[in-house]
Amino acid sequence: MIVYAALAVIAGLLVGLSRQINGRLALSTSAMESSFWNHFVGFVFITCVALIIGGLFAGEPQESPWWAYLGGPIGVIFIAAGSWLIPRIGAAQTAMLIIAGQMISGVVLDIVMGAAGSPWARTLGVALILLGMWTSRSKRPNTITKHTHSDN
Amino acid sequence: MWRQCYPTCSLFPIAPQHKIGDACLMENTSLSPKPFHFAAAFGAGGLLTLMILCNGTLAAYGSLFFASWVPHLAGSIVALILLMALQPGRATKARPPIWAYLGGVSGGITVMLTSATMNTALALSGTIALGLAGQVLFSLFADMRGLFGLPQRMPSQRDYISLTLIIAGSLVLIFFGGEA
Repeated sequence: MIVYAALAVIAGLLVGLSRQINGRLALSTSAMESSFWNHFVGFVFITCVALIIGGLFAGEPQESPWWAYLGGPIGVIFIAAGSWLIPRIGAAQTAMLIIAGQMISGVVLDIVMGAAGSPWARTLGVALILLGMWTSRSKRPNTITKHTHSDN
Repeated sequence: MWRQCYPTCSLFPIAPQHKIGDACLMENTSLSPKPFHFAAAFGAGGLLTLMILCNGTLAAYGSLFFASWVPHLAGSIVALILLMALQPGRATKARPPIWAYLGGVSGGITVMLTSATMNTALALSGTIALGLAGQVLFSLFADMRGLFGLPQRMPSQRDYISLTLIIAGSLVLIFFGGEA
């Protein structure tokens, strides 16, 4: 159990790592080129692993609805946005705003699709996230500027 | 460390007209999100929800490999078309280091790890919650050290407060928001 918990944390670390590396590539190239390489290298990697392990076409993938294939194009914009943002607002801000957007849109999607859920928990969760976003939007104290100045 | 091999400031293209020292100063003070950055990051989170819906649906019909393989293939094609259409040009003439191309490998491993943990007692909610923790820890550390040649930035007290609130809200949604 502990092992799986550790693996789940590592998966999160790798999300951050991937965003950081893609952001570095975007610094030298462009956000869209970074997104392309992310997808292409990921595609080659997954193909290799799938060839070794097998079972790529298991199940009935041909039965899935057409819109399920839109995940790739959406991901292109998502990765490009992350690569563009991370050098501009930092990794932590990027991560927390993406998480906020993901969570709140998830609640909206659940409600639209009629998924069962506790209205109280949803309200409290969204309220906490909005409060956190509002906190980060408030003006930053000047002391950081001075500190940076002396460092240079 | 990575940062010493690839110093952040000289590679940072936002303020090429500034001298290196000036560019450093500018980055550090301008790293609080402007409204557009803010909206873009929040919107990207919304895209992530749609992406997970699509890929999760693929996984319901095909294998987990398939649900990750197809979006990477389709994404490569779409990104290539967009690249050819937009021709964004490169920010710097200097070649990026080879490892900068390997972000996709990290993403691929993520998919495999999460598909492994999702089927344990952790379930989807535990996998997402622990994943958020890992992501936040990494991003804080990456900012503090300016990992992989990105600008260094010390998180402020306000950042920690806002992170705590957002994570708390996320945990409420993950563990209590899902089912009645």
